[in-house]
Amino acid sequence: MRRNSRGSWLLAIALAAVAAALPLAFLRNQYNLILLTTVALYGVLTSAWNIIGGMAGQLDLSAGAYLGLGAYTTATLLLRWNITPWVGMFAGGVVAMGFAFLVGFPLFRFRIREVWYALSSSALVVVLQVVFLLWKQVGGPMERLLPSASFSLYNLRFQSYLPYYYIMLVLLLATLFIAYRIRTRRLGYYLLALGDNEDAAEVLGVDARGSKLKALVIYAFLVGITGGLYACIYGFVHTSFFSPTISMEVAILGIVGGLGIIYGPLLATVILVTGRELLRAGLGGRLQSLYLVIYAVVLILIALLRPRGLASLLGAWRKERR
Amino acid sequence: MSGEPILQVSELCKSFGNLAALNRVSFHIAPGEILGLIGPNGAGKTTLFNTISGLYHPDGGQVAFKGQSIGGLSPHAICKLGMSRTFQVTQAFEHLSVAEAIRIGAYNRHGERGVEAKVRETVAFFGLEKIQDWKCSDLGLAPLKRVEVARAAATDPELLLLDEAGAGLNASELAELMEMLKTLRRKRDMTLCVVEHVMPMVMGLCERIIVLDYGELIAEGTPEMISKNEKVIEAYLGRRSKR
Amino acid sequence: MIVNILQSVADGALMGCVYALIALGLSLIFGVLNIVNFAHGDFVMLSMYLTFWASTYLSLDAVFTPLITIPLLFGLGVLIYYSIIQKTLRERFVVQVAVTVGLMTFLRAFAQLVWEARPRALKFSIIQGNFPLGPFTVLLSRLISASLSIVAVVAVAMFLKYSWLGRSIRAASDDADAASLMGVNIRWTYAFAFAMGSALTALAGGLLMTFQQVDPTMGLRFGLLSWCILALSGLGSISGLLISGVIVGVAEALTVAYWEPRARSLIVYLIFVVILWLRPRGLFGRK
Repeated sequence: MRRNSRGSWLLAIALAAVAAALPLAFLRNQYNLILLTTVALYGVLTSAWNIIGGMAGQLDLSAGAYLGLGAYTTATLLLRWNITPWVGMFAGGVVAMGFAFLVGFPLFRFRIREVWYALSSSALVVVLQVVFLLWKQVGGPMERLLPSASFSLYNLRFQSYLPYYYIMLVLLLATLFIAYRIRTRRLGYYLLALGDNEDAAEVLGVDARGSKLKALVIYAFLVGITGGLYACIYGFVHTSFFSPTISMEVAILGIVGGLGIIYGPLLATVILVTGRELLRAGLGGRLQSLYLVIYAVVLILIALLRPRGLASLLGAWRKERR
Repeated sequence: MSGEPILQVSELCKSFGNLAALNRVSFHIAPGEILGLIGPNGAGKTTLFNTISGLYHPDGGQVAFKGQSIGGLSPHAICKLGMSRTFQVTQAFEHLSVAEAIRIGAYNRHGERGVEAKVRETVAFFGLEKIQDWKCSDLGLAPLKRVEVARAAATDPELLLLDEAGAGLNASELAELMEMLKTLRRKRDMTLCVVEHVMPMVMGLCERIIVLDYGELIAEGTPEMISKNEKVIEAYLGRRSKR
Repeated sequence: MIVNILQSVADGALMGCVYALIALGLSLIFGVLNIVNFAHGDFVMLSMYLTFWASTYLSLDAVFTPLITIPLLFGLGVLIYYSIIQKTLRERFVVQVAVTVGLMTFLRAFAQLVWEARPRALKFSIIQGNFPLGPFTVLLSRLISASLSIVAVVAVAMFLKYSWLGRSIRAASDDADAASLMGVNIRWTYAFAFAMGSALTALAGGLLMTFQQVDPTMGLRFGLLSWCILALSGLGSISGLLISGVIVGVAEALTVAYWEPRARSLIVYLIFVVILWLRPRGLFGRK
């Protein structure tokens, strides 16, 4: 295991270097930069989801809720008090975190069955969407534009997608590192045990509710920060950011990537989101929705044929135990 | 066997719907002893364990562990106080390896620094070196039962409740297990309470036995006394002849 | 004022009966197969589009289209069960969810591909129109839809209770192993339950189309709505389903009338979350 981990670190650093160098290959092509940024963004979401979904085995479908909260917090701070998104996105993370705590506290107390946890977390996204739709001071039916500027470091506005990509990449690496730290420490082991057998874990001293809450709150924090960045990238906030579709997609990518395996969700994201976006661009026109049909079929096929996730392919190849 | 009991159960009640699974059960466990808990199927032994270890909320009565009332505490809090248990139907962590499963227990009293050593020591104590990297889902019944005892022992409990740890083991596996349990008591000062159907194990291991039938305590005494007790024989044999 | 409130309550109650019909299909699938079907609402959406098609191209009135769509959806249910659902029965919960969410994405994208994103509605149905009843106005389409829904729910309840097939479905839902020992063909029963759950959405979809339009994103709303009703009623009580459907329908209608139309889903999910927190078994649940 020890020998192996050194190699893994080298591999991880090499891959990070490749990711950092990738944009140099097509600096002029904004489309490719958008694609890279999108993949990195989904990578953060799915890797963060892995903490609550993969390790703790809680099928969370509320990524969109925390994404939206982060986005709206960042935008509101900037628009009302001119507070820079650099601070705003962390504030967004904290708001998402607080909200996750409020939601998770009662949910985990009553040991709500996995199905109902999944559904109530999904309902949460829609609830927030409506709340922000009706909350005129902060949300409302119209898009809220962030201050436009061709270049403003303070407002996190850039002409090119290049800076966004690098910021997202840093966030992605941080997320992966946090997931790795959790996975190899007490909390990670506790979460895995809880995901497998809650009663058995409890009598061995595992605080089920506390551990799950920690996982949920960390996940919400990471997604909240991403939400702040998301708002800056798009240049506006809208209630459609509270998206049930994104929430489900994040979960499904996490599942087909490989539950609890650090690089699993990222692997699935890189392959599938890239594939999806290329398909979307390639098809276009009348066949606009065809890419989603194909994407859905691929997801179903992977889930059926590789129930342990895409990472299990790599795992079998490397003959490595998780 | 002196001093205060490590566990004092008084008038404990638990019912499911109209069915009283435990009816005013009272007994104690003295520090350092090995107490046997026997009774026919459906007598309420597992319910008793579940209620003591915090998985069930008692409907009435008191459970005091080391003089402190623990009725209504959650299982992990009870474990932190120094009580752990195994399960009659093995509750494995399917996706964890043997060493990782033990690690879950070891974290109870150890931080990141000490946990590795504790795991290694526990693995060695229970003779699990060869299978420590196996996934729990790949284990047969006998090793699985042993892993359950090992991970519970890794929490460093003062009181360990074993629910049919011997069921399904062959004679040599049983002898090994009994030896380990005796060593646990001698070297780690653990008090043990065992629910058991395997009579040789109960008779060979326990100093004192209590008998549960239909949720009530019907006898208490040394193995010899119990094996001659009319009520106990009635409970075990009488019911069979009535059927 | 009081007349208006009662009017909303009545409208909502009628709508709630159709909701109960949708939730009944879900309850069959969840109760029997123990599969969490996220795509159920999208079956409703698909049924609505098929109704739209059948009535546009075959000039069939929406009330009669279920004659075609019920067999269609039943067949689709069988097909999906054998090709997809059956393979996930022994898998972990998350894999089941991944598959049904994938199915949901598929159905929605398929609808967008075939019918495009804009909403579709029927121009005409023989049960459109309304008539006054004292101070109230009764929408004929809603009244008939609600009545047919109740008839269908009761019929399914009778079927489950008295027919041989229905009893084996209930046996399989209580304890699959025991049922299979008693000679129930579990695989076949599961397929039937799934197909029947899907076929019920065909009826609901046809009825909904007599007074509503359809767009491809509607599935999620119906899906969560029927899960909410199921959570409210708990498993195993058919009258509970009807009552819960009516509660949800009335809550929606009152929200639309007296607060804010866009907040209706808010109310539904708040009920859902509160019920999960306070009564995880539902109001009428057995298990």
